Amino acid sequence: MWAQIVKVAIGIWLMMAPAVLGYGNPAMTNDRIVGPLCAAFGIISCWEVTRGARWVHVPVGLWLLAAPWLLGYSNVGPRINDMAWGAVLLGLSTIKGSVSSQYGGGWKAVWG
Amino acid sequence: MRIADREHEGAEQWNVPPGWSYNPASWSERLPIVGLAVLGFVIAGYLSLYQWRLIPHVWEPFFGDGSRIILNSPISRYLPIPDAALGALGYILDAIGGLVGGRDRWRTMPWIVLLFGMAVGPLGLVSLLLVIAQPVFFGAWCTLCLSSAVISMLMIGPAMDEVLASLQYLKRVVAAGGSWWRTFWGLKSSQLGA
Repeated sequence: MWAQIVKVAIGIWLMMAPAVLGYGNPAMTNDRIVGPLCAAFGIISCWEVTRGARWVHVPVGLWLLAAPWLLGYSNVGPRINDMAWGAVLLGLSTIKGSVSSQYGGGWKAVWG
Repeated sequence: MRIADREHEGAEQWNVPPGWSYNPASWSERLPIVGLAVLGFVIAGYLSLYQWRLIPHVWEPFFGDGSRIILNSPISRYLPIPDAALGALGYILDAIGGLVGGRDRWRTMPWIVLLFGMAVGPLGLVSLLLVIAQPVFFGAWCTLCLSSAVISMLMIGPAMDEVLASLQYLKRVVAAGGSWWRTFWGLKSSQLGA
C-alpha cells in the first residue's frame, strides 16, 4: 500500500513541478499529462482488488525515462526530474504490497 | 456500517462469495461509496449552479482566476448542459447504483452491480481527462474540479470488488450449464446456490 501512496505523491509532484521548478514546454505539458495519470492509477491501485492497476506505472515510468530524449528537453532540471521519478516508478511498480483479503481467485478466475 | 453489524452472523456468511473472506455487497462495503457519491454530487451541483449563473461567484482558495477560467472554458460548454451538471448526474447514478439491491446482490442482481461498475469507471475516466485538460489547454486549475476528480478516483477501487464477485458468479453459472442472460438479470430459476 505504501508503494501505491508514494506513486500518488509522485503524480501530484509532477503536476506541480513545472510551476515549482519553473520550466516550460515540452516538459511542462508532458508532466501535466503524465502526473494526473500517475496519481489516478496510484489511487486505484491502493485497493487490493484493483492492485493490478499498478502495472500502468511501468509504461508511465518507461515514458518518463524516454520523454526527455524523444521530446528534446533543453534544460537539465526537467530532464533529471522526469528520469529520476520514472526510474523510481519502475522500481515501485514491482512492489505488490500486502493483500489480506481473499477474492475467490481474483480477476484470473473471470478471464482464465 | 452499523447495519452490517446487526446482521445475523450466519445469514451474512451465506452472502460471502465462495473463496472470499468477506461479502463485497455488505452495507459496510457499499455505504462509504454512496457517501463519496453524495459528496461528489454536492460539489458538482455547486459548480453547475455557477455555470448556470444561478450563483454569481465560485469558491477558489488557491488558483486565483483558475476556477472561473475552467468553468467557463469551451470544453465545459461543449454539450447542451454544463459539464459539472453532467458530473452531478453521474454521481446520482453512482449513488443509486450503490444503494439498489440487498446484501446478496452480487448474485441476485448482477445487472445492477455491473451497471454500478460502469457508472463509476467511466465517470472517473472523464474526470481524469478533465484534470489533464485544465492546465494543458487553459493553463489553469480549479480546486473543486480537482476535488471532484479525486472523489471519483477514490470510488473506483472499492466499487470493483462487487463487480469481480458478480463476474465470477456469472462464470460459475455458465460453467454449470446455466444461462448467462437469465442470471445477469437475476431471474430466479437461473440461480446456483452461493
